[in-house]
Amino acid sequence: MVAMTLLVYSQKFNNMEIFIQSAAQISIQNPLCEDWFENPIIPTLPYNRSIEPDYKQFISPIASRRMGKLIKRAIATSLSALKQAEIQELDAIITGTGLGCVENTEKFLSAMVKEGEEFLQPTFFMQSTHNTISSQVALFLKCNGYNCTYSHRGTSFESALSDAFIQMKLGKIKNALVSGQDEMTPDYFNMLGKIGYWKNEISTDILRNSNTNGSFAGECSAAITLATEPKEQSLCKLQDIELLYKPSKERMQQAITNLMEQANISSIDAIMLGLSGDKKNDDIYKEFAQTFFADKPICWYKNIFGESFTAPSFGVYTAATCLKRGIVPQHLCYNGQNIQDIRTILVYNHFQNKDHSLILLSKC
Amino acid sequence: MSEKLVVTGMGVISGLGKGKDATLAALLAEKSAVGAIKYIQTMHNDIPVSEVPFSDSEMKQMLNIPEEQLITRTPLMGIVAAQEAIQQAKLSENKPKRIAFINGTTVGGMEKSEQFYIDFLENDSHSQYIAAHDCGAGTDDIADYFGMFDVTTTISTACSSAINALIIGANLIKAGKVDAAVVGGTECLSKFHLNGFNTLMILDREVCKPFSQNRAGLNLGEGAAYLVLEKANDATQRGVTPLCELSGYANFCDAFHQTATSPNGQGPFLAMQGALQDAGLLPKDIDYISAHGTGTGNNDETESIAITRVFGEQTPDFSSTKAFTGHTTSAAGSVESVISILALQNNFVPANLNFAERIENITIQPNTKTKKKQMSHIMNNSFGFGGNDSSCIFSKIQ
Amino acid sequence: MEELILELKKEIIEVLNLEEITPEDIDTDAPLFGEGLGLDSIDALELMMLMQKNYGIKVDNSEKGKEIFKSIRVMAEFISNNRTK
Repeated sequence: MVAMTLLVYSQKFNNMEIFIQSAAQISIQNPLCEDWFENPIIPTLPYNRSIEPDYKQFISPIASRRMGKLIKRAIATSLSALKQAEIQELDAIITGTGLGCVENTEKFLSAMVKEGEEFLQPTFFMQSTHNTISSQVALFLKCNGYNCTYSHRGTSFESALSDAFIQMKLGKIKNALVSGQDEMTPDYFNMLGKIGYWKNEISTDILRNSNTNGSFAGECSAAITLATEPKEQSLCKLQDIELLYKPSKERMQQAITNLMEQANISSIDAIMLGLSGDKKNDDIYKEFAQTFFADKPICWYKNIFGESFTAPSFGVYTAATCLKRGIVPQHLCYNGQNIQDIRTILVYNHFQNKDHSLILLSKC
Repeated sequence: MSEKLVVTGMGVISGLGKGKDATLAALLAEKSAVGAIKYIQTMHNDIPVSEVPFSDSEMKQMLNIPEEQLITRTPLMGIVAAQEAIQQAKLSENKPKRIAFINGTTVGGMEKSEQFYIDFLENDSHSQYIAAHDCGAGTDDIADYFGMFDVTTTISTACSSAINALIIGANLIKAGKVDAAVVGGTECLSKFHLNGFNTLMILDREVCKPFSQNRAGLNLGEGAAYLVLEKANDATQRGVTPLCELSGYANFCDAFHQTATSPNGQGPFLAMQGALQDAGLLPKDIDYISAHGTGTGNNDETESIAITRVFGEQTPDFSSTKAFTGHTTSAAGSVESVISILALQNNFVPANLNFAERIENITIQPNTKTKKKQMSHIMNNSFGFGGNDSSCIFSKIQ
Repeated sequence: MEELILELKKEIIEVLNLEEITPEDIDTDAPLFGEGLGLDSIDALELMMLMQKNYGIKVDNSEKGKEIFKSIRVMAEFISNNRTK
């Protein structure tokens, strides 16, 4: 019996296709919609908070009494994505978050440091752990399935996506809710500012032609659903995902070749990069493009969503939306004109040139 | 059979000391490491804990890390434990093609952030520690020390982090993404989570008494432990003798409450049952359960109920080793995996210290004295905040 | 007593973050846990902290807490008999 099951899994392994069924975002763009595709808000400040939707449509004030903003956003984007995908029985909830529940962590930490250890509030502690996000979503959905949280700096979201992808390929799960969740409080913004994360002035020109380090802050809540059966609303195929730690040029080349061979894709239409105006990081992206995709159009997304540890989730989200619509709008094209009839996009991200990720998406 | 995953190395550091040998000796001698606070500066110095008996400087010396190098306690302990595992698995001498490092942690660099938080906000005297605050920072520090990894990531599911790291590493190997994985967790004590658990009123003022009617909460501990996983065939080809097989694992969510387990232990039940199914084993095949057994009212009662639901009235021997090591939170899953494998290799059931009497309305009770027993399959449980519940099974190589 | 009851209601709304609930919405004699406001064990911990911080009353076990937190009125009576600040 066990051997039979294994056989079925391994037969399925190569043939099984995985689809991004739906996606939803709350960010510095208009929430829970795709206004950013045609009418993006162009950020002008170094620090931007998310635009909040009305959460009462998702959760009652009593039920949300202990929830920080990040948890409310996570529940709203998760419910929206699941509704669009028409997934009834969810097998897995997997979250990436670089910093976790910062707001509650700060409330507890600040009280402890400033007022002492006597009268600390349990709520802020229990809502401070990173896995609060995934578990509150599970609690809300009453989902007993697989539940996991990744907190690995700038590749937290890709770690979560890779987990879902691998388990689907292994036949352990049939669908998954994967999200990137990060909030940026004023204090954390100031702290990161001290170590060179932000610019003082922002405009699209400054970001595109930057000769200085640092970018601008956004916040992130982007949820996507994955499933093994396509539907009319499916956004795109998730062909493969690869995580690499400090790869050599040879290893990166090998990984790209493998991805394309596995997907049986001979040419990529565009690459979606995490360019953000931070010269130090942008140089790595430009070198990547020059070395491996010299003649391909380059797309970006952080120019409208800002920088956060899970910003790459917007890379996948925007690429998936572009594949569904068949076009990359002008404001997402880093060089050249808008791209028509787009069929394949490689999303590449790196964090401080240590952790790198490659995600290959194609039209359904 | 070629898909069989084996453990080819393991390393540990906890209140019981550095390394497998010290850990085994303490377990056999029934010697608890829980005692008075030494390193953490807190007004709650009546709360017993289990601290790793080395200062940061001592660990830096052990590892040839310059004293002035900026590295927090969590990755330092992680390096000590990972080094032992990597050496045993001979990963440096005979390197597998692609190695993953999957690390579990939750507290991250908090131990420094809580010292310098005011400075972070008001001046630049300790800004160098800002970048060390997040969970992934420590993982990078460990990965950079060894310089042998091709994939790294960080799991943060509170008290089940390390066992989930093991599950992710195993899946990466099965999917052919890597050839070996160093998996586990590390967590140092912080004033932050000591106070956090204290506000939840679940810290015992004495050494904890898991599964006992008179239990009064948990003791926090610190530690790190890692296992090296790879396919049995690869281990053979590399000339490494497997310690045991990782025969099954499962992760489920209780989805009941942020800090309490459901009355019928649904999440723990699903995790244990799922691990058995994954291993293709029956409940009667399990010789010993290394229970999560924190010593809190809620955990021990619901875990007992879940064990009974899975195993019936004929439960295997079980014990919690938390009274030895304290609750090492994000590292608990791997610290107790090492303990489980030591028990498997040396054929003994570890003692559940400080047990006085059975929990009211619960029909099962833990093994209270170290006991010789032939072992084939051991189950290890780790349950976390938010209902993140996972179990895994280690089996002797047949 | 009525003054203390109103003060308590305001404090509870604040510490438990009961958005959109006013003191008038809380029935002085209704149970705080289970039915009524539908509070849970973590809210109980928050209320214990509130008692200690604002009234100098240390409630250190949850069984005792259950007795005291039966309703706002029971809580107010307990506070007026035991407060140290």
